[in-house]
Amino acid sequence: MSTVSPVHLLDRKSGILVEAHLIDGLSREDVEKAEADWKPFLDEHVKRMEEAGVPKSKLPQHRHWNWREKYDATEEYLLYRMFGLECQSQMQGLMLALTAGKNSQIVAQRGKPLVYIHFLAAAPWNLASIVSEPRFSLVGSVLVAAAIHLSMEEEFQGRIGLHSLPQADNWYRKTCGMTDLGPDQTVENLRYFEMTPEQASEFLR
Amino acid sequence: MKMNLSKEWLLKRAALDEKHDISAGTINLNKLRASSPAKQLEPVHGSAETENSNPAFGKLVNLWRRKKGLRIDELAEKARIDVTELFEIERNLHYTPEPRTVYQLAKTFGLSQEKMLELSGNLTVRDSSLGQEAVRFAARSESVEKLSKDEHRALEEFVKFLSEK
Repeated sequence: MSTVSPVHLLDRKSGILVEAHLIDGLSREDVEKAEADWKPFLDEHVKRMEEAGVPKSKLPQHRHWNWREKYDATEEYLLYRMFGLECQSQMQGLMLALTAGKNSQIVAQRGKPLVYIHFLAAAPWNLASIVSEPRFSLVGSVLVAAAIHLSMEEEFQGRIGLHSLPQADNWYRKTCGMTDLGPDQTVENLRYFEMTPEQASEFLR
Repeated sequence: MKMNLSKEWLLKRAALDEKHDISAGTINLNKLRASSPAKQLEPVHGSAETENSNPAFGKLVNLWRRKKGLRIDELAEKARIDVTELFEIERNLHYTPEPRTVYQLAKTFGLSQEKMLELSGNLTVRDSSLGQEAVRFAARSESVEKLSKDEHRALEEFVKFLSEK
């Protein structure tokens, strides 16, 4: 069963907030539609970038992700929660969160449970690495806020953790104010970030 | 989950949001799942009856409660869980409780959350010895009002096993 919360995104062109919906508990149809909208757009733009000689390191690093596969792999597990951020009849962002089995690595919080953001991504038309003028901003902020709320609902006091793709490291470190615990050799050497209860309060303030 | 974000908060965040990428996660879902620290964890079904559920969880809760001389509503209050779910856990030995309920009970009992999650059917751990111990424990305990000597010993041994790192 899914629940829907009314939220807003910022339309970059007009500079105004527009109505959006945060969906907790996506259906297969929601994910299939998102994948059908995202993939052709992403493939076309990546192809253009490759033809223009853009180096591989500048291409979107999650271009091979398949959200339907992620949905299929996790849909039967209650410990996984898939969120979608819908605006103007299209999915603007997706997030897969895990609510058990992960504990804090920060010394002062060590061993305390957290919500682990397994995957988080914005629609390709919202990515500055693909288009010069992204359509909506706030996609990441709303999804991170959702993960914090989920953590609070689970009584984890807002603790969240994630492995960031390199192009997003600065956003999690500076804009979200998360603690950077450095590269994790067990997870493709991606940097591991955590948000403490205090950082979560600050983020939501 | 319901969420409410004010327009003021959103506008404040929008001012901070440059044109950053926000992607998190790895290329390979299975690889990431297998990389959990210390042990390889795989979440399994929740809430309804599942083939992974284990009667030992309900028995453990039942015996622990009776050993402490608590009524079902008293344990529910102590652990801050729903009394009807606790009733279901003890009554239906194949019921798989919500992860939060398992966390709360593990905290109340002072036992490993991970082992309790596994025992409750919320998580499977590859190459675990818990399964055999749980079956042994479940087979030795009876559902009676007062703990027999054997039940008491079985509970003590099983709690000791669950407490081991």
